[in-house]
Amino acid sequence: MAKKIIITNEIRKLRFFANEMTQQQLAEKVGASRQTIISIEAGKYSPSLEMAFRIAEAFNVKIGEVFDYEVKGDK
Amino acid sequence: MSYQEKKTIISIVTGLLILIAYFTYTYTKYQSGVVIEGDLKFWATTILVFIGIGIVATIIIQIVFHILLSVAIAVQAKVKDENCDDKEIEKTIELEMVSDEMDKLIELKSSMVGFGVAGAGFMLSLFAIVFNYSPVVMLNIMFASFSIGSILEGFTQLYFYRKGINHG
Repeated sequence: MAKKIIITNEIRKLRFFANEMTQQQLAEKVGASRQTIISIEAGKYSPSLEMAFRIAEAFNVKIGEVFDYEVKGDK
Repeated sequence: MSYQEKKTIISIVTGLLILIAYFTYTYTKYQSGVVIEGDLKFWATTILVFIGIGIVATIIIQIVFHILLSVAIAVQAKVKDENCDDKEIEKTIELEMVSDEMDKLIELKSSMVGFGVAGAGFMLSLFAIVFNYSPVVMLNIMFASFSIGSILEGFTQLYFYRKGINHG
């Protein structure tokens, strides 16, 4: 059975370095609701690849700088 | 609380009110002896009427909710910034009511719960006939299961909005 993957993100940090961009401003940029941005940031929702790229584009960084993953049980 | 959560709560409340109204009405009629046992025409008519009432009530309540929400957002925007124009307010309202991929995923996963309950209710209603219960029981089980399925769908949506959701 495939191991469980946990997707992590650096959105909070990136927002801070983007002049304290608000969740609403980011939501507007990527065409999502603020609720979705809150959920992604809290790790409660993993966005589609398309939205992940849009988020990375909003910060002008590569997708790998926004999202990373951890394999559960991997030490 | 987000717009989607508020909308879902309104749907749940509407569904509950319709279900309570249906059972109150039919119970009162049944207790008063107006309805003859096994009067299928009465039950079919009542269920059809309540389905109609449900559809109309849902539409009206959703319209009223959207109007009230828009007014609330506009007032909030004006309080925040007195100089904001109508276009800015319209944009704020649009942004508040945006529906995206997470909403669609939550809707999809919750509808599975709704269909599951409705399907189980349909099976149960068939068993009621197999075990020699009146067709009236079958009709009521079907109506109740579809209504409860819809209400549970709403609760599932709320659960996913609070707890989060993942693909797969």
